[in-house]
Amino acid sequence: MPKLSVRNLTKRFPVSGGPSMTALDGVDLDVEEGEFVAFVGPSGCGKTTLLRIIQGLETATSGEILIDGKPVTGPGHDRGFVFQQYGLLPWLTAAQNIGFALEAKGIPPNRQGETTERVLATVGLKGFGDRFPHQLSGGMQQRVGIARALAIEPEIMLLDEPFGALDALTREILQNEMLGLTERMGKTILFVTHSVDEAVCLADRVVVMSPRPGRIREIVPIDIPRPRASLGEALRDTPEYVAKRHQLWTQLMDLV
Amino acid sequence: MQQSAQASAVSKSADEPAAASDPNRQRRRERLLQLGTLVLLLAVWEFAARDANKLLVAVPSDIAVATWELLLNGELFSATIDSMSTFVLGFIIASVIGIVIGFAMGTNRTVEVILDPYINALYAMPLVALIPILMLWVGIGFLAKITIIILFAVFPVIINTVTGVKNVDRHYLDIGKAFMASRLMVYRKIIAPYALPYVASGLRIALGRGIIAMIVAEFLTSISGLGGLIINYTNAFETAKAFAPVLVVALLANALTILVQKVEERFGRWRRR
Ligand SMILES: Nc1ncnc2c1ncn2[C@@H]1O[C@H](COP(=O)(O)OP(=O)(O)O)[C@@H](O)[C@H]1O
Ligand SMILES: [Mg+2]
Repeated sequence: MPKLSVRNLTKRFPVSGGPSMTALDGVDLDVEEGEFVAFVGPSGCGKTTLLRIIQGLETATSGEILIDGKPVTGPGHDRGFVFQQYGLLPWLTAAQNIGFALEAKGIPPNRQGETTERVLATVGLKGFGDRFPHQLSGGMQQRVGIARALAIEPEIMLLDEPFGALDALTREILQNEMLGLTERMGKTILFVTHSVDEAVCLADRVVVMSPRPGRIREIVPIDIPRPRASLGEALRDTPEYVAKRHQLWTQLMDLV
Repeated sequence: MQQSAQASAVSKSADEPAAASDPNRQRRRERLLQLGTLVLLLAVWEFAARDANKLLVAVPSDIAVATWELLLNGELFSATIDSMSTFVLGFIIASVIGIVIGFAMGTNRTVEVILDPYINALYAMPLVALIPILMLWVGIGFLAKITIIILFAVFPVIINTVTGVKNVDRHYLDIGKAFMASRLMVYRKIIAPYALPYVASGLRIALGRGIIAMIVAEFLTSISGLGGLIINYTNAFETAKAFAPVLVVALLANALTILVQKVEERFGRWRRR
């Protein structure tokens, strides 16, 4: 049984004084346990909407989401979400932002510290717990967002363009860390990106989406053997990487 | 060793004064300018009013002497305690009521729809007009004064709290939803901190209106406190003594405003860049 199934999912947003806008139209997808699936597509093709519905932040107009075969009715601690922007509460420190998720999960304050320390160390932010978001760089803020999602020990991680607003160098560093992290933990991951590079580096499969209405155009398997983290920069020289990157580029160009 | 440390200290101080002390010197010059203007103003007042009717106009030196007298005989002190205890209690009650009603209106559309017209109408109207009728109901004592202060102070707190609560960024509410925060957590950790600057500016407005209410109440209900001193000494044509409580009210209003600002800054630390 797939870990996560998206079944014939449709989402329409009401538009004042006009016909409703179809953000997702009949999306079907199965994701296996431990699989890393990346979503690419022109902006407005419904990537964020799909992730938000899976997280339970939005309700589908029709269709359903199944986790371990059971329908999803709302948010849950089995899913950890990483937001693209404004993902941290600016009035809480890094540690308090992580504590927020732990408290929401019902973990008492005296048992939060250890987990907080551990996940901060995991994302390379040991010792930064008492910094407020504005005292951290954009890259560090996103790491805190990832640490917070990890803290609740979800079965599925949902990341919406987590590195989208970062500069190229920071982005590449975080990509490599993400690769190491996911290969160590083996979690099921859904990852939205607008970077074909990022998708090919990280994913087992890349879902290409097309806009108006949002549909799955193609699902491309990436057969670069794991662990890829150890390859370092050489990863981008493998024939599979070069071929898949080219294939995805061509498809995206057709869509824009 | 010592020499080199000294040398580096010297070279440092030679590099930096232009950058470090210029804003300081600038600020000192501005303070001096303000102080000079004040002295000039007081001097002009002193000399211009020297020959005027003492019953109608007091000069700064007379006011200083009168203030000193009222300080020594304890009159000013006890009037200040009287006024402030009433004011602080009224202000705290108004703040609590204002924040609670503001939260209720900001988070519950039904409550907002029901209360909004009254809140806005009462905020806009000259509440002094209500005081005589109010006195029929609650008398002219302590209760009357507290009621008047609350009435004047509560509406800006409500209105600003509602604005803050309703403006909460959707992104922040999504965080609460995604991680399944309880309703109480969403209130405490998302809505309240977000609304805090709005509430604080409501409190600042409430402070000013509350002080006005305090003085008006002391004029119109049972004559007491600082407002009472002003009325009594004016009626007795002891104009210089009437100025002393005015001075105290002015100082208190400014001190309290600064206090609210400090509290706001303390809670808004996360915003400082
Ligand atoms: N809350 C909303 N209300 C109305 N329209 C929305 C809303 N959220 C998204 N949309 C629309 O749905 C479409 C898909 O948006 P989105 O999922 O954000 O796309 P992507 O993340 O791929 O850029 C866009 O046309 C967007 O304008
Ligand atoms: Mg998006």
